[in-house]
Amino acid sequence: MKKVIRLVKRNFIATIDTAFLIWQIFFPLLYLFIAGYAYASIIEGVELADKKIEYPAFIASGIIGLNIMNSSVTAGSMIWNDKRTGMFEQILMLPFTRMDYVMSNIITIIIIGIISAGIVIFASIPTVFNGIEISLSSIQFLLLAILLGSIFFGSIAIIASIKFKSNEGFQTMLNTTFIFFAFVSTTFYPAEGAPEPLSIAFHINPLTYVVNIIRAGLFNSIYDFLYIEIIILTIISIITFTVATRLLVRLNV
Amino acid sequence: MSCISVNALSKSYGSFKVLDSISFDVDYGKVFGFLGPNGAGKTTTIKILTTLIKPTEGNAKILGYDLLKDEQKIRSRIGIVQQKISLENNLSVLKSLELYGMLWNVQKRIREEKIEEVLDVFGLREIKNSKTEELSIGQRRRLQVAREFIHDMDLLFLDEPTVGMDPNARRILLDYIKKKVSDGLTVFFTTHIMEEAEYLCDEIAIINKGRIVTIDSPQSLRKRYGSIKMVELRLKEPFDRNVLNYDGIEIDNNIVRIVSDNAEEMLAEIVRRLHDNGIYIESLHVDSPTLEEIFLSIIDERYEKGN
Repeated sequence: MKKVIRLVKRNFIATIDTAFLIWQIFFPLLYLFIAGYAYASIIEGVELADKKIEYPAFIASGIIGLNIMNSSVTAGSMIWNDKRTGMFEQILMLPFTRMDYVMSNIITIIIIGIISAGIVIFASIPTVFNGIEISLSSIQFLLLAILLGSIFFGSIAIIASIKFKSNEGFQTMLNTTFIFFAFVSTTFYPAEGAPEPLSIAFHINPLTYVVNIIRAGLFNSIYDFLYIEIIILTIISIITFTVATRLLVRLNV
Repeated sequence: MSCISVNALSKSYGSFKVLDSISFDVDYGKVFGFLGPNGAGKTTTIKILTTLIKPTEGNAKILGYDLLKDEQKIRSRIGIVQQKISLENNLSVLKSLELYGMLWNVQKRIREEKIEEVLDVFGLREIKNSKTEELSIGQRRRLQVAREFIHDMDLLFLDEPTVGMDPNARRILLDYIKKKVSDGLTVFFTTHIMEEAEYLCDEIAIINKGRIVTIDSPQSLRKRYGSIKMVELRLKEPFDRNVLNYDGIEIDNNIVRIVSDNAEEMLAEIVRRLHDNGIYIESLHVDSPTLEEIFLSIIDERYEKGN
């Protein structure tokens, strides 16, 4: 594990673009306070299980999920950078396994996700999240969502970085896919009341599950289907992680 | 026991055989030169021996460890300078060295001492705060080599490490390697520059088209392949050319040049003829072939046989 930690440290020092990292962490705040409050004037409140929450709180919790997904692009970018600079091969000639390398990338985006979520929650508590109570249960749900979301989307980004021959292709594919994930999910709008095809699309989107788990924790709105969502997200995260790891292990250098 | 013991190692990509059953041994504390033209299989050999890729057939023992089973143990005791530059672009020289030491888990105090040493040895002190992307190719190469000496190792793989270096930096590196070898380090060294191989290597393997053509010390290679190539005789005064009517000699006033594969035998014959005709020799110069010429002749010979 110490080896993985050294690689994580390296990721933060060398691989991640600092400007990108700052943008990645502070972008949600920008979105939250501009879009969240603007939409609040046209969307009154949102039903969540047996509760009704204000729209800025709804979108703030959604943005935490969105940011986990966006942060995962970092995992792919790290591999791209390392391949471009020759450090990918170099690291694999050092006493690290390819699994160490994959794990370090996933842990890096989990850390970014946690920091980002923490900033959103911390900045939003006085205003947006007025009245919520951070409990052990809410932290558990939040961490579970960050963990599973990072593994799933990080693995997708790793697969894309391996499969695409150019950085441009990788970035374009990931951006368009993630836009689709973002807007066909419950990040910005609730599934209830949406046209049926859209509602179905919402529910086959892993980002919806990530966001729902976050909201369940933050607003203590546990419903029956939530645990099935957790199980589904866990299974697809394991599958994508396995595929990403296998591809990376077989990647020719 | 050898430091590196390679046994019938092969590597194929589809039907293309990059390495064809190569075998060799490298003793501890020696510099083993691995020479060959482009595409001969040098880098593939290094990639296999550093456990980056797996061989299609065969096996090897590195530092006593099985190549296929003990990857991590091998990697923890070797260093590698790749042929292509591998540096993080956005870091300073100093930060890059620190980070590399950290990756190798070198204690901070030792790391700092080693960094101070390599900054001086490899002439990096003046540019220690420059970002690596701002450096010249030679400076980047020096950094890439320097960082490998921050961590302890028993075996160092150097894949054409001097490419892009100026002659001074090249000599400093070779001398530093010699010093490390005298301290017990074993070095596996590939290069195109025969002077380097001759200066540094205890033993040389020549590889061509995935096969090892010959293995020997530079001195023995000279003996085996380097018969006298050219002999120049300066005579005391001009003479009658008909005295030396042989193929393979050039005469220019009082200078006679023997350019022939059997120059040694011809020399004996010519000296006798000159003596018989009362012609005296003022000076004699023998020009032996360089290792580069031996290398080229071996490669050409094998190429011709292959065709």
